[in-house]
Amino acid sequence: MRGAPIDVLERVPLFHDLDRDEIAQIALLFKERDFEAGETIIQEGSGGAAFYVIEAGEASVQIQGRPHSILRQGDFFGEIALIDEGPRMATITASSRLDCWGLTYWDFRPLVEANGVIGWKLLQRMALMLRDARASNNTAAGASPQT
Amino acid sequence: MSGVVALEQASDLAAFGAKAVSLGQAMRDGLPVPPGFALSGGFVDAVAAGDDAAIAELLREVAPLAGPLAVRSSAIDEDGAAASFAGQHQTLLNVPSVGELAEALREIWWSANSDAAITYRKKVGLFSRPSVGVVVQKLLAPDTAGVLFTRNPISGADERVIEASWGLGEAVVAGLVIPDHICLSRQGQVLERQAGYKTVAIRPVAGGGTVEEELPAELVERFCLDESQLEALNRLAGRCEEVFGPGRDLEWAFERGTLHLLQCRAITTAGS
Repeated sequence: MRGAPIDVLERVPLFHDLDRDEIAQIALLFKERDFEAGETIIQEGSGGAAFYVIEAGEASVQIQGRPHSILRQGDFFGEIALIDEGPRMATITASSRLDCWGLTYWDFRPLVEANGVIGWKLLQRMALMLRDARASNNTAAGASPQT
Repeated sequence: MSGVVALEQASDLAAFGAKAVSLGQAMRDGLPVPPGFALSGGFVDAVAAGDDAAIAELLREVAPLAGPLAVRSSAIDEDGAAASFAGQHQTLLNVPSVGELAEALREIWWSANSDAAITYRKKVGLFSRPSVGVVVQKLLAPDTAGVLFTRNPISGADERVIEASWGLGEAVVAGLVIPDHICLSRQGQVLERQAGYKTVAIRPVAGGGTVEEELPAELVERFCLDESQLEALNRLAGRCEEVFGPGRDLEWAFERGTLHLLQCRAITTAGS
């Protein structure tokens, strides 16, 4: 079956403003990716081109070598790399076997460029998340870091 | 054009990548390449995305190989671009059967899209969508394997340089052992021979994957190639140069006395 299950993506805050048809379009672009416990998924400072949604399992987040938070089912990471091509802003390591769905920059960008409605909704949601993150000074337990 | 072709039919570099096309050329010229299939970058992308039709085609077309299998990446821009992607993309040895191929292809697809691969691509000025073809072959269980340069890759001298060890050649390629080191003249005369220190061999294990097996003490410093095998390797080097031109970097394996060519590419190290 091609793409991620829509109900998994509907739980992702980044996609909360999208309707089911819009999520279905994005879902088709996701590819399954699994990690073993202990595997480093993304490394702070490295290049990156993929965004991940966790379907099952747990991952730990470290920023500048310090523990930051734990990510679980429905959490996501790597979203900044989908947009700015910049370096990763956190290190994320699988704490258990981790079943993810991944979306790459190369697959995401053409969809957003072709569909301004989806792009605008994502932009608004990311602005809201940035405000929330600033308000909590990125220290609230369980908050997804921007990666 | 189909996304799955028998390896000897792989000739489109943009579709199948450098490794598949060079092995296809080698087969067409009668070099001893194990049979297999080439999968195009687009086809690998579709399988990795979970496309049911592509997965069904994969299982149907590759079924004759049965298993176990060696599944190797063949990056589309790998050897044609200024950068070499050697080592950036994954190779999966001992995939137990065709039934596990779709998952293996997904792993290889993600290895080309991993943060490490993307970081490397950015470093060499390539921030573009990676495309990765795949070569699927029956996995060999070699007694001895290694690499051969058809001229000295360091000095540029006109001599064959062979590095060899027991088991799968990945022990040599990954630097897990100090391999036997032999230099031959073009006529096959041994110019230099140094025994290595080969403490482990990589072997396939039942159920999939490989294991580093500790070698008995008597094999650690024993030469793993005899005179007739050196002659066969020198003949292979000559044939590869006839087909592809001078300055080739080969990967090879002896399985039950038969020599197989696993890769043939241009030397890319210093002195080339």
